[in-house]
Amino acid sequence: MRCWWVVGLVMLMVGCGTPSAPTTPVKTSGTGSPLAAKPQAVTIALNWFPEAEHGGFYAALVHGYYAEAGLDVTIQPGGPNTPVLQQAAAGRVDFAVDNADKLLLARAQEADVVAVMAPIQNSPRCLLVHADSGINTFDDLARQTDFTISMSVGQPFARFLAKRLDLSGLKTAPYSGNVAPFLLNQRSAQQGYSFSEPFVARQQGAETKLLMVSDLGFNTYTSLLVTSRSHIKKQPDLVRKVVAASVRGWRKYLESPEETNQFIHEQNPEMALDVLAFGARDLKPLCLPEGLAPDRLGAMTAERWETLTQQLRDIEALTDGKVQAGEAYSTAFLPTIKP
Amino acid sequence: MNWLGRTLRDAVLPPIVLLAVVAVVWDRAVVAYDIKPYLLPRPGLVAQAVWTNQLKLLGAIRYTGTAAVCGLALSLVVGTAVSFAFSQSRWLRSAGYPYALFLQTVPIVAIAPLLVWWCGQGFQSVVLTAFIISLFPIIAGGTTGLLSVEPDLVDLFRLHNATRWQTLWRLRTPNAVPALCTGLKTSCGLAVVGAVVGEYFAGQVGLQNGLGYLIQFHIAGLKMADLFAAVLASTALTVAMFGVTSVATAAILARWYDVPAEHRA
Repeated sequence: MRCWWVVGLVMLMVGCGTPSAPTTPVKTSGTGSPLAAKPQAVTIALNWFPEAEHGGFYAALVHGYYAEAGLDVTIQPGGPNTPVLQQAAAGRVDFAVDNADKLLLARAQEADVVAVMAPIQNSPRCLLVHADSGINTFDDLARQTDFTISMSVGQPFARFLAKRLDLSGLKTAPYSGNVAPFLLNQRSAQQGYSFSEPFVARQQGAETKLLMVSDLGFNTYTSLLVTSRSHIKKQPDLVRKVVAASVRGWRKYLESPEETNQFIHEQNPEMALDVLAFGARDLKPLCLPEGLAPDRLGAMTAERWETLTQQLRDIEALTDGKVQAGEAYSTAFLPTIKP
Repeated sequence: MNWLGRTLRDAVLPPIVLLAVVAVVWDRAVVAYDIKPYLLPRPGLVAQAVWTNQLKLLGAIRYTGTAAVCGLALSLVVGTAVSFAFSQSRWLRSAGYPYALFLQTVPIVAIAPLLVWWCGQGFQSVVLTAFIISLFPIIAGGTTGLLSVEPDLVDLFRLHNATRWQTLWRLRTPNAVPALCTGLKTSCGLAVVGAVVGEYFAGQVGLQNGLGYLIQFHIAGLKMADLFAAVLASTALTVAMFGVTSVATAAILARWYDVPAEHRA
């Protein structure tokens, strides 16, 4: 039994579809570890600095789930506008982590990238307003005058809001990643992630209220695990292993994130432990929203992808017919759900 | 050959020829190496994007160009004044120089909230950014020019009992003009960069859409051909500003100095 397992691993190492005899001698005894073969190197590139939104991937690393699957995973931190999907499409990295809207836009540029797991089901994307502003809904917001909204220029959610709401009476300013202008101006709103910026604002003495963009129906899967189609074709088993270990990691992160947060904090010292703890707690309902069975963590549906694709067409971020939602994702690698 | 003909032959034709060569090599490379549009669009697509977006691009060039020119003009005035002050006092120079460098090296994004708080969101903050980024070469050029006067000439002025003011105005100032002109030319490109970066955080979306806005917008939308078109437009703006400055400074220098042949207009 164990013998076959080792042979399988070796086959993976020398590449699928080449059933030639293994050239590397494999130690099968001595260390007592079941993983005698050299682990396979895998790179996962993040779309942002290490944060809670990447927690599950770090958890799989910290708790050794990737190693148990025979993988030597390197998580490569990103930053603003890091072209992770392009790198994944070009095969420079094995996997990328990015959001669903970005993935569809990249597909429109012939980047054949495919989402294989969706850890964060409900988008944390929101607008922050001051708690005492009297603004409770997006309609309240649209009614304001002499009011500034800071949003990243050209981001699909910002274009969606501009199309959906009549923002003509408001000023829109580009968001450059800093909450200070928002804190200074009571008559302003800014974009954020529900599990991050509100906490930062509170630390600076400002209570906020959140308007969730997903409440308007624009709900992008977030922190998707993405790989290229050619990678899927060449190494389906590897993809399956990475997905399975990542799902395990996310489950662990939602239950007990402490050790992982410590590690993320070491990777990105700017991310304080209290912000991470807040983030991990508030991520839970986004990853496992009501109605999603716990064993469906990471799942994706055709309906959600279709809706998003149509919304991107509506805001003219996608040209009609160029991108097919069905090609953008695959649920084939998610661990089989027990009946 | 008349002036226009010479200008076309010497200044306009060569870059166009080079552009055509680069476009052909670029296009063949994209096809030969199967480079996907998400990395590099074909030049034909970029040209098409320039054509379809021409009105937007022209509007953006006008907005960003105005901000860059205002910032550059401000830099010229303030930079010249500062270099006069620096030339008059060693103490002032030692005290002030590091802070002039600070302005050049400070990541604008770090002081963005402050700028917006002072000047408000919009055009004036974009001008301020262009000014901050383009100031240093003018201070450096001006100060160097004012100080690097031949010692013999200083002695001559002293022998004739020239006042400090006379030495400054009749000796140091004329000596500083070429260095100031070089500083100004260096600052041209920086002013455009400054205006583009300024729009990244201080612009006003919807009302004033400059090149910085377009670049950000197309990055977010992953529209590579449109993005390259916007980048080309900012290059065109920089070239235009540099061209005008070169002609202007050459005219000034030709009137005052026997300039080396290669610097003549």
